Amino acid sequence: MTPGARFLLLALLSSSLLQYPSIVHARDVAALNISISEFDPGVPEDRSLHRDLQIFPRIRDVEAKFLPFVLRETLVSSGEWGAVRVVTEPDDAAEVAISGSIVHSDGEHLELQVQAIDATGRLWFDRSFAARLNEDASQTGAADAGSPFQPLYEAIAQALQESRQQLDDRALAQITEISLLRYAVELAPSAFGQYVAEDEQGQYALRRLPARGDPMLDRIERIRLTEYVITDTVDAKFRELHEEIASTYALWREYRRKSVEYDRQNAERAQDGRSEAASGSFEAIRSLYDNYKWDRVTAQERDRLAIAFNNEVGPVVDAMEARIAELESWVEEKYAEWHRLLEELFEAEAELNRTAS
Amino acid sequence: MCLVLVACTPAKPVIEEHMMRIDGEMPADFSGSWERDYSRGDDVNQVLRDIYYYLSRTSADRAYTTRPGPVQPSSRDMASISALARLAELITRPQVLTISQNDQEITVDRKDDFSLLCAFYDGVAKGTESDYGTEICGWDGDQLVSHLILPDGLQVTHRFTVAADRQQLRVVTTVSSNTARVPVTLSRFYRKFERLPPDFNCIETLSMKRVCSTGEIEL
Repeated sequence: MTPGARFLLLALLSSSLLQYPSIVHARDVAALNISISEFDPGVPEDRSLHRDLQIFPRIRDVEAKFLPFVLRETLVSSGEWGAVRVVTEPDDAAEVAISGSIVHSDGEHLELQVQAIDATGRLWFDRSFAARLNEDASQTGAADAGSPFQPLYEAIAQALQESRQQLDDRALAQITEISLLRYAVELAPSAFGQYVAEDEQGQYALRRLPARGDPMLDRIERIRLTEYVITDTVDAKFRELHEEIASTYALWREYRRKSVEYDRQNAERAQDGRSEAASGSFEAIRSLYDNYKWDRVTAQERDRLAIAFNNEVGPVVDAMEARIAELESWVEEKYAEWHRLLEELFEAEAELNRTAS
Repeated sequence: MCLVLVACTPAKPVIEEHMMRIDGEMPADFSGSWERDYSRGDDVNQVLRDIYYYLSRTSADRAYTTRPGPVQPSSRDMASISALARLAELITRPQVLTISQNDQEITVDRKDDFSLLCAFYDGVAKGTESDYGTEICGWDGDQLVSHLILPDGLQVTHRFTVAADRQQLRVVTTVSSNTARVPVTLSRFYRKFERLPPDFNCIETLSMKRVCSTGEIEL
């Protein structure tokens, strides 16, 4: 063999050896699919605290559906990821699952606690992201609800990229494989239960891989694709919600921002008023009364605006929730059917194999 | 008489712990629209004269004078009391009160002032607290008591009583402070009135403000 031929053979061998055996169809291993579940609204159970904390539960519910979509748009526009979907419930088998809760949200300040975890159970991060209003966006009255707090979403996108950079191609490929196998285990535990192991820390590892072209795995992939079609329909509903209420939400946020500003003005006025009038005079006691009065008027105006917001977006959200519930109930029904069929198929095939051998 | 009682009774909280709990339904129903009955109620000048008379007979200054009969209250006393009276007059000025009530909350809307709110969560009244004051409420029998505590000892108490036929409402407002020797109390009476049923159904929205329709509102 000539040195040239030997070099070529070596190169071919090494490239095939370096190619990881994978059950997943060829794709860019870094472009992981992301599922963002609806955020936790962060509403305390104790209703008596809502007024003090200025939390409007119905509006938080809307934000819990609305804000994940803004994050989705940011991730999609980065072009760094595969499919990015907003889902109603956490997707345990997702390649990367993002969940979050709203810690604080008024027109001026947004704080989210966000967790990202991959299919192997590896925690990418679980931390708080906060941003104050982008004044430029506020002054231009940007109707795009995401833009005023865009730095927050960019920071989450950045954290995701940094976490991904810690992983080599093999680790990234494993995320995809384990994601598919975890999905397969959920659907057909008898057939796939042996391929993935979960340790006490909730970390998943591959025990072995199914054969390439395993017909059972093909079926699982087809079912997953069907489920993705439904998930994309649900995702489209989040998009519709975003489009329909973005301008109203921007208005709400603007009113909330003004309300925070009024609170500040009330505090300044109270501070100025205290030093002037003589104690016990009408001016002094009226000032004390007025300080409280304006604080309450501001709070009550906030309540009124929250009701106005609910009146406006309530029907949109209700319609969306009804449609998603229909879709999810369809998936749930089918899922049970698929689960039963796959288990039966596996049994039948195993029986056939036993008979053949 | 009321003044004498207030001045002589040892200080106790306006709203005691037991008043802040309800077991089941609210003890009285105040809901509706109420307009001021000007033929009844206290005249603020008369209240001030009564206080002057009361102070001149009970003033501590009497101990330092040998002259028999009433002693003129100090101008400082009267100035702080007139300040309270002016504030009480101002607070009780609204001609109309609109009261909404459900199993958990009573809201008293007053023109040009904040709405009084009395909210119960699991049967326990929850006050409103801010940097500027604390508002608590409770039930004294079938009287609703709203108590506002402001800095420098300034306090405003409203006591609501509804007649058995639910056609009349009495609101007794007391304003007191650390700087005045006695509180000022004004009674106001209101008559129930029915607002005309609206020709339109209206709701508030953010982007379109008030939206009205003769039928069902579709946004």
